[in-house]
Amino acid sequence: MKIAAIAGITFKEAKRDRVLYLLFFFAALGIAASRVLAVLTVGDRVKIIKDVGLASISGFGILMAILIGTGLVYKEIDKKTIFTLLSKPLHRAEFILGKFLGLVLTLLVMTAAMTAIFLAIVYAHTSRIEAPLLVAVGYIFLELVLITAVAVLFSSFSTPILSSLFALAFTLIGHLSWGLELILRKMGPGAGRTLVRALYAVLPDLENFNFKTEVVHGLPIPPAIYLSSFLYGVCYTAFILGLAVLIFRRRDFI
Amino acid sequence: MADAIRIQDLRKTFRLGFIPKPRPVLKGITLTVREGEIFGYLGPNGAGKTTTIKCLLGLIRPDAGAVDIFGRSSLSPRSREELGFLPENPYFYDYLSAREFLAFTADLFGLARRDKEERIARLLALVGLERAADLPLRKYSRGMLQRAGLAQALINEPKLVILDEPLGGMDPLGRKEIRDIIVRFKDQGKTVFFTSHILQDIEMICDRVAIIVGGRIVKEGALSDLVSERVLFTEVTVAGVAAEAFGGLGESLSVQGDRVLLKVFEEAKVGQVLDLVRDRRGRLVSLSPRTETLEDIFVETVTRT
Amino acid sequence: MKIPLFRRGSTVPLLALLLASAAAFTALKGATDRIARAKVPGSSIIYVPSGQFLKYAAFGYRALAADLLYLWAIQYYSTPTIDDRFDHLDHIFAIINELDPRYQDPYEVGSLIAVQEARAAHDRRRDDALSVRLLRSAFAILDRGAANNPDQWVYPFNAGHIALMTLKDFALAETYFERTMKIPGAPEFVERLRANAMFKKGDLKTAWETWLDIYKRAPDERTRKIASNHLYNVKATIDGAALEAAAARYRERFGRFPADLATLVREGLVGEVPKDLDGRDYVYDPAAGQVRTVISPWKR
Repeated sequence: MKIAAIAGITFKEAKRDRVLYLLFFFAALGIAASRVLAVLTVGDRVKIIKDVGLASISGFGILMAILIGTGLVYKEIDKKTIFTLLSKPLHRAEFILGKFLGLVLTLLVMTAAMTAIFLAIVYAHTSRIEAPLLVAVGYIFLELVLITAVAVLFSSFSTPILSSLFALAFTLIGHLSWGLELILRKMGPGAGRTLVRALYAVLPDLENFNFKTEVVHGLPIPPAIYLSSFLYGVCYTAFILGLAVLIFRRRDFI
Repeated sequence: MADAIRIQDLRKTFRLGFIPKPRPVLKGITLTVREGEIFGYLGPNGAGKTTTIKCLLGLIRPDAGAVDIFGRSSLSPRSREELGFLPENPYFYDYLSAREFLAFTADLFGLARRDKEERIARLLALVGLERAADLPLRKYSRGMLQRAGLAQALINEPKLVILDEPLGGMDPLGRKEIRDIIVRFKDQGKTVFFTSHILQDIEMICDRVAIIVGGRIVKEGALSDLVSERVLFTEVTVAGVAAEAFGGLGESLSVQGDRVLLKVFEEAKVGQVLDLVRDRRGRLVSLSPRTETLEDIFVETVTRT
Repeated sequence: MKIPLFRRGSTVPLLALLLASAAAFTALKGATDRIARAKVPGSSIIYVPSGQFLKYAAFGYRALAADLLYLWAIQYYSTPTIDDRFDHLDHIFAIINELDPRYQDPYEVGSLIAVQEARAAHDRRRDDALSVRLLRSAFAILDRGAANNPDQWVYPFNAGHIALMTLKDFALAETYFERTMKIPGAPEFVERLRANAMFKKGDLKTAWETWLDIYKRAPDERTRKIASNHLYNVKATIDGAALEAAAARYRERFGRFPADLATLVREGLVGEVPKDLDGRDYVYDPAAGQVRTVISPWKR
């Protein structure tokens, strides 16, 4: 399978990326530091540990997704290894998908490693493996998958620095787009409102993948949202990848 | 039977830079490479050789024109199924060993496992990398990388091999080896399309050549048609005879000590020069007839345009 | 020969995929939004660190951080579902004030929120402890505003107003108004408010002198009239209090209130029966032993 071969080589290459280990180190540090922070608080220490731990996994995961996602596709073009690849009977879509899947595999391994550390620290405090935390981590991973697709999209036509900024902007917009709803409530009807409504529908809403609060406070999560959030992530990722393929197919490699 | 490569009126203009400035690179290339021949693609730097190859490989979308490989459009990935390509200054994943890299390229063709191992071993032997097969590519010399590149280009046993400057950066021994491999391709019925700026190499092994200058083909044809067997002039070096004695027989190019270098244009006069040397008890140091070479044609074409 | 921009064969399915996925995620977003998620309103509050720390964490963007925190605070305090949202009011506004000490709105709005909620706590919830705590926050916010902006008279003025109208601590109101008056640009009616605070405090002598001073210095007829009304009121209060005290003593002696005010003079309980500022008699109610003016001091 050609896609699998490219995914494999991408995974191998990502494994060698020092940035990845640096970020992993900081994430581990953050998760471990939650213990120290917890000492400072009055009241529920475990809550702080869970909050900081989940935030570290999500924050550093996003940085990993963006930095290796934008780096690896660009490197392939910059180092001209892509000439060798594309001179094989390979669809450009296969290249994009292979790269994407390789990156997703890398992030899966990294997220799993960070989660292991996290669960171990929570276990040290509660002596329980808390399965709901895995739900939060699972949806964090789904968010990382979407961000990886975005990183691949931007790096299919831009430099790593610009792509990183674009992908970071996407992430920020994704976490702030709910604010448009507040604005919508205060706007009178008109063209402006229609525009904001359209933006609200189209802009990514990464809060759909954010179950951190519910999980930490042990609140009930409506079962329907599992499925609809999951499908939302999958469809958005498919859209971004489709866009990446469309752009990448038209690209000349000089 | 379809031609190996058929390029018709290929045009490409690059628009690069912050304020795009159109720069036409290919201005209507038309050429045909027949199956089984070794085709040399010749031109000065920036003439459009590599761009032509990238159009052949679908790395660049032409503005106009058609490129067919064995009758299939180069825009379709299927046209590359029976094609092997060695890029100029090949860059590969430098953390892989040659064996891993070949396995990876084999996967891109979807080769079966047993085929794969057998073929990798054979190719490593062919390019002489058996002993370095498990070293990471970053430890390879330029010549070794070139061989690894050649091996990956052959992983699918292609009917058409495209080589961009295959002999660049190799030591003379390595050059001879690669040259031998290319000639062997022809025996195996493969078609070879390659570019080079080392003219002797092209001359030695090509059936046909095309010369591209400034995005246009200025000359194309069988080597024997382009290059005549005619002797242009003969260079004669003699010792012990004064240069003035040869007045009228040839042009005296240089005098060093008692040695004289003569350029003689007519074959009949070469005999007269030799007679004169014998008469004057001089010594003949060297005698070499210069036939017309590809280089002459190339230099002539490039300077004319 | 022209090369088509896209090879139709594979582009159509690709565009179809793009459209389908876009339609799907838009629809799914709507669907996901409709699912009500449990929220923990205000759970973020424990992570709001102190202003001292934030000041450095905000690098050069202190004013921006203050703006954002202020916007957040307004949303936060207008979310009625957060029951304990007023517990940290002073803390949060202290941070905003620390980040941008010259940002005026947060002082005013913060103290306003505190006072409103203090009133609501007192009237509706009968939670006087909360009410007092909130009022204390309001004074703290305004005191910070005054300390950080010594040129602005509104902060001591607002504090005085709250003390006068809501807390009914008239001595406190008087000190705030006194402080307000010292700031250049303070409106002249502050002086009157101060006199009013003195009057309500019960310091009738000083109130009388202050109003008299205001009356004499009055730049226009309207001010003079206001001062005059207050003088009338202060005098009526002093006289009324003296007469009622005498009536009460009469009752101790005879077991009933006197029939009229002249009786008090006869019994030697007062020297004479005073008249109001306009020279009219006070109205006496023999049943309750109470004295009032003929007309309201404010309708003379």
